Amino acid sequence: MRCTWQLRRWPAAAVQGLCLLASAPALFGQEAADFFRQNCISCHTIGGGRLTGPDLKGVSQRAERDWLVRFLVNPQAMIDRGDAYSQKLLQESRGVVMPQISGMNPARAEALVDLIDAESKLEKSQFIGVQITDRPFTAAEVETGRQIFRGERSLKNNGPACLSCHTARNLGGLSGGQLGPDLTRAFERMESRKTLAAWLGAPATPTMAPVFKKHPIDSEEILPIIAFLENQAADGGEDLSAGKLTFLLVGLGGAGLMLVVFDLAWRSRFRSVRKQLVLSSTGRGEE
Amino acid sequence: MNVRSQVSMVFHLDKCIGCHTCSIACKNIWTDRKGAEYMWWNNVETKPGTGFPTAWEDQDKYNGGWACEDGQLRLKSTSKAKTVFNIFHHPNMPTMDDYYEPWTYDYQHLFNAPEGPDQPTAVPISMVTGELINIKSGPNWDDDLGGSPIYAEHDPNLKGLSEEQRQQLFAVERLVFFYLPRICNHCLNPSCVASCPSGALYKRGEDGIVLLDQNRCRAWRACVAACPYKKTFFNWSTGKSEKCILCYPRLETGQAPACFHSCVGRIRYLGVLLYDASRIEEVAKSPAEELVEAQRSIILDPHDPAVAAAARANGIHDSVIESARRSPVYKFVKEWKIALPPHIEFRTLPMLFYVPPMAPVMAAKETGPVKNVSDDLFHDIEEARVPMRFLANLLGAGNEGKVRYALRKQKAVRWYRRALTVGDVSHAQAAEMLAQADCTPEEAEAIYRLTSLCTFDDRFVIPPMHREEAIEMLVDPLEHKQNAGFGFLTGPRRGL
Repeated sequence: MRCTWQLRRWPAAAVQGLCLLASAPALFGQEAADFFRQNCISCHTIGGGRLTGPDLKGVSQRAERDWLVRFLVNPQAMIDRGDAYSQKLLQESRGVVMPQISGMNPARAEALVDLIDAESKLEKSQFIGVQITDRPFTAAEVETGRQIFRGERSLKNNGPACLSCHTARNLGGLSGGQLGPDLTRAFERMESRKTLAAWLGAPATPTMAPVFKKHPIDSEEILPIIAFLENQAADGGEDLSAGKLTFLLVGLGGAGLMLVVFDLAWRSRFRSVRKQLVLSSTGRGEE
Repeated sequence: MNVRSQVSMVFHLDKCIGCHTCSIACKNIWTDRKGAEYMWWNNVETKPGTGFPTAWEDQDKYNGGWACEDGQLRLKSTSKAKTVFNIFHHPNMPTMDDYYEPWTYDYQHLFNAPEGPDQPTAVPISMVTGELINIKSGPNWDDDLGGSPIYAEHDPNLKGLSEEQRQQLFAVERLVFFYLPRICNHCLNPSCVASCPSGALYKRGEDGIVLLDQNRCRAWRACVAACPYKKTFFNWSTGKSEKCILCYPRLETGQAPACFHSCVGRIRYLGVLLYDASRIEEVAKSPAEELVEAQRSIILDPHDPAVAAAARANGIHDSVIESARRSPVYKFVKEWKIALPPHIEFRTLPMLFYVPPMAPVMAAKETGPVKNVSDDLFHDIEEARVPMRFLANLLGAGNEGKVRYALRKQKAVRWYRRALTVGDVSHAQAAEMLAQADCTPEEAEAIYRLTSLCTFDDRFVIPPMHREEAIEMLVDPLEHKQNAGFGFLTGPRRGL
């Protein structure tokens, strides 16, 4: 039985392997663009100006193709090696090192450089980045942002609410999650609406990327979130500890309550017999 | 009628001198291993006293044994649903403090101590932590009424005694106690077997010995909580529970169990009983006062041809039936009715019976030396220092009549023998006593012989176990003809 199953599986596996080999050249096309969208646009544009990282328009005129490929495969290694151009880039991005992208290999890096070259020649690249208004946000937009952050208004593509991992000031209740950083000053860290919008368009950290890859934040939701974060940053300060304290107290109270419930549920449980006999008989409170 | 055979025991409490030889014999053979330090498959307790573990008889606390509710027998400690809900914590588990923390002594210190002004001593060391300990309890902590105000005065059997009776029991000049040796009762309706979630415990079909399969035990310890006599123990080293095995390897080779064999007072009797297994549930559900009589009724007369035929039909070998006919246990329990089960109100139907002790007459101290209340050497049993109520709580499920009957018959036998050997009691007087105690001279003679002049073979009528036939059901002996034994036996793999 087991043997026949394996035999039947063999041809299928062989076909799958062949398909993988055949699909490699197709990376030049759509796949490279998808890879760029998922991994690069939170920090880079092509012709849209600088975000956290530099604008990549015409990057192959600024650096050797070979250098670009090596940098893409492992940016940290290039910096560590003391490469002059890498150091300059590091200064320009105020110390933010480009992360090593998972799934990056020389073939894929070549494909990406080809893609950037192709996109640079276009009048308006598809990766020009989000264009975002400069007008002051209205109170209604800030409020919508707050609702999205708190999860009162669910994200259109079913992404998780910000609150589940992040906290911010004056969220009310038990405050937000502690898994991710406090976002009260996120706007200051990202410096501009544009950078923040790019980030939200494709969150690139190892924790957020897999979560939001399949449930991206809709472009209409990005604006209110930025409004909310800008508003938070404008007021200054960090998340007050009131939320954390409430959380601690509720946790302690809950644990205490559970102990009471357990004690009631097992109230007729066996307790030490001998010790009680001794204590009650001697009346001295000692054995 | 579903006739089965059971190896049963009688302990004659009137003969027990409380020497603990039985406990030591058992300890040396079975429980001097790692993890078994605190186990006493056989122990001897002082009554009144709380025993081992402390106050084991108090089922309001320990929740062992069966409860009969709405005509249904239910385990007090667990059920199928409770097994799930208490999966991480069994609420009825005794603690180590209720047994005792086992210890040894630092004997090396006696030899290695540096020279000093004092004699070196061997200080006690915990066998659990290895640290010095201040011993707070032991396996026989309340021996001979030690620590009475704490232990003996809280004996659960004192329930129902008047305040005056209690005070008399512990008044300095009137103190009385007797000994209660205890092993596993190998019950007919064992709650340990019923409670085991793994099915590791079983009652051996051919002789009724209750055993615990070390390979199937999964350390639930439900048996420890369920046994009202607290005679299953958990071995922390192997991670398995253990209990008295009635020395079945000895029985199978025709030897008495170690505690029986070594008994100095010759208080122990062992023999086969035939019983009707189809009535176990019905008997276990009887009202408390009728339990002793109901259990007697389940024991069948091996001399009855119908019983013998039914036994044979059930696969009981002729030699076992023959052994049952000579069983001393059958005589004590069924013919003479002077042996009683301990705490049968736990409804496990214990198959170990006790002959209640003849306590000395009540003495009172007036001015001067102690004065006997009665001048009769064989006084009225109602005036005995141990109140009838106490014995009835221990051995009669509260039924004083059963204990009184057993004591009166023993007393009558003494008067009868006194008339024969000393002559200060008239034969007529002795005959009248016997008649009052529902006893004939022949019976009195038999009781006297089995009590006082019993030989090894009188006390232990061990049935042939026929292991050579029993083993054929599991393996073919011819396959192992060239081997020694039946192959490898492996030790349990779980545990520390």
